[in-house]
Amino acid sequence: MANCPKKVQNSKPSSVLIDPVYSSMITLLIIVMACVEICDAVTVVDVYRLVQYDIGGVPFGSRLASLNHHAGSSLFSSSSGAAADLSRTVLILPVRELNLTFIKEYIAQRKPLGGLLLLLPPAFSPNADSVGGADHDSVKDLMKEVLVELEQLLIHANIPYPVYFGFEDDGINTVLADVKKNDATGQLATATTGGYKLVVAVPEPKKVASPTIANIQGWLPGLKADGDSNQLPTIAIVASYDTFGAAPALSVGSDSNGSGVVALLEIARLFSILYSNPKTRGRYNLLFGLTSGGPYNYNGTYKWLRSLDQRQRETIDYAICLNSIGSFNNDLWIHVSKPPENAYIKQIFEGFSNVAEELGLKVGLKHKKINISNTRVAWEHEQFSRLRVTAATLSELSFAPELLQSTGGLSDNRHFVDEASVSRRVKLVAESLARHIYDLKGKDINIFADNSSLAVNPSYVRSWLDLLSTTPRVAPFLSKTDPIIMALKKELADHTIEVNVQQEVLDGMFTFYDSTTGRLHIYQVASVTFDLLLLLVLGSYLIVLFSFLVITTRGLDDLISLFRRPPSRKVKTA
Amino acid sequence: MTLFHFFNCAILTFGPHAVYYSATPLSEYDTLGTSIKAAVVYLITALVKLVCLATFLNVSETDSFDPYQELLKALIGFIDVAGLYFALTQLTHRNISQCHKFQAVGLGWAFADSVLHRLAPLWVGARGLEFTWDYIFQGLEANANLVLSLSLAALGSLMWLRKNKPKTLIPIIYACAGIVATMPSITSYLRQGLGWHLPKIVGFELFTSLAMAFISWQLFAACQRPSN
Repeated sequence: MANCPKKVQNSKPSSVLIDPVYSSMITLLIIVMACVEICDAVTVVDVYRLVQYDIGGVPFGSRLASLNHHAGSSLFSSSSGAAADLSRTVLILPVRELNLTFIKEYIAQRKPLGGLLLLLPPAFSPNADSVGGADHDSVKDLMKEVLVELEQLLIHANIPYPVYFGFEDDGINTVLADVKKNDATGQLATATTGGYKLVVAVPEPKKVASPTIANIQGWLPGLKADGDSNQLPTIAIVASYDTFGAAPALSVGSDSNGSGVVALLEIARLFSILYSNPKTRGRYNLLFGLTSGGPYNYNGTYKWLRSLDQRQRETIDYAICLNSIGSFNNDLWIHVSKPPENAYIKQIFEGFSNVAEELGLKVGLKHKKINISNTRVAWEHEQFSRLRVTAATLSELSFAPELLQSTGGLSDNRHFVDEASVSRRVKLVAESLARHIYDLKGKDINIFADNSSLAVNPSYVRSWLDLLSTTPRVAPFLSKTDPIIMALKKELADHTIEVNVQQEVLDGMFTFYDSTTGRLHIYQVASVTFDLLLLLVLGSYLIVLFSFLVITTRGLDDLISLFRRPPSRKVKTA
Repeated sequence: MTLFHFFNCAILTFGPHAVYYSATPLSEYDTLGTSIKAAVVYLITALVKLVCLATFLNVSETDSFDPYQELLKALIGFIDVAGLYFALTQLTHRNISQCHKFQAVGLGWAFADSVLHRLAPLWVGARGLEFTWDYIFQGLEANANLVLSLSLAALGSLMWLRKNKPKTLIPIIYACAGIVATMPSITSYLRQGLGWHLPKIVGFELFTSLAMAFISWQLFAACQRPSN
């Protein structure tokens, strides 16, 4: 309001109208000035950060989250053979063309870098069209191996700069091609040479306070004969449902252990049909357990077993743990910790082998002794064995995985899971269990025959596999009432009589940090030299315009007189 | 760095107005009041035009060129001419010669146009990290607009303020005024109908503005001669 020119003092009726118009314009301008910057980037993509965690205080993973540097495309500049100074550059590296040895050296020598953006092929995106087994080719297998190696490298390294994963798409590919072209001229993009700037604006990563693990159990009671006061024996079927990977927001773990979860749900469904009718209810209780904390030495299973009533635990005849049963190859192993000569183990193994033979599958037995003093728990059945409960794990993995290995990471997605394979294994487990429960011997017994009411439902298997393959399930980042936990609870409640969810805090040895996703803005920036040049050009244009106007309207003398000092007054007074 | 770019584009857009004011004898005669009055009249004219456009025009979904709508826009554009007439003739000015009056009015008119149409996009857009040539072209457009406004003001002052004009020149004066007044419609036709890109359009505007300025200068000089 105070900007009204003072000269407009003549009382004209129109001047009264001018003021409100003028002031509203000014307020509008001020509001617009205070606006947030509108996004005008070349490209905006979703990116997923490398996991950041500590084991017993030792830091691992990428320790920074926010990114604001220029883009580069290779570890070396073309002009000099030695590695250029990249401490203020973000490297964009497609995983397809990655040279793992260079990266290993770079990380091992802890060379400085502004940031790393790894581009994954679009086929590995959780939202990609899930084409099943038919498209299974060697290129994808090679990619899978590279990803597994890269993942193991990254999660066991301590990287002091941000590392992000993104998916290749048209926008980013054009930017990368441009950056490569600029780099080929031998100039690294900096503030003075222009280029592209990558910005991820996220807050500082904070520790996840008290990460929770949720164990879901379902109880299907068996048929108690009248007058029988003894407790019925129990058979437990267990699978861990959570995952861990280099990018927690992408760790969907279709095979490890999505396949196990789906198999458990399908077995629960089939037995609930059998147990719903008292005539077909078996003399065994069935306990279904979906445990969490699998990658962290099966911490969830440990806590779950200790929460069970001791008498209940003692009634467990044996437990079958399912771990990764969905791949295309046909090998299947039963891993045990009790020696194979043990009578119980023999019985279980024979039961499985007989059924396997009939179904045309092959099952082998592997024995791994437990070392009580070693805290590493490689298989879920080991947690049972430490409490003297007979247990075995059914898995396609032939060797015990190391810590944080085969836990459903980047490469474990829907393409590598065969639903037909899962269905076959479901049939194997269900049939073996049923023969044990109902004490059936002899050939030509096919309880869960195809095209019967007890057949394994392939669309049930497929829909749950699809759901799990689009849901990242890293336990510290799942809230207490996360949708997937509620969905699993509800599904188990449909098939069993009593469902309990046990919430526990994850063992203190592992600490996680949040900030797992972000949006990457790519801006095309002009260099400072360009701005200075433009200023120079505009300055000279305005000077030329000024001189031209003075010359044409007042004459050349006036222009010259501007530069000459007025004659000194002192001469007159003197 | 991006505030730097904003500063560059701002001096390109608004610098020539300040330079024009200080370089020509306008500053000696202190005609700032006239310019400000002209700017205010422009604001009112813009508001009236907005109301008319909102009332009479239908918003088309596609970006195509609709002759009827464009004709309507051109007619509403003549409100501009009416505003300029008001500024030139109705407002009282201090005793300044006609030569300077039209310059002051044209300057104020062009400055208000630049501020209204170009300041907000400049502030919001040029400060971002992303670099585009758009704002530099917008600045060049502001320069062309300044020249056009001065030509229109000159022709307007010839039409309405000068009583004795050589008979032969009168139709030329009105024709040139008509061309300059419909220049916005022509540029929008080029942009939407023929699909010209921004650099071409800005080049065209600069060229035509210089041409029209030259023609109106000659006409003004010719009209001035008989009275001397």
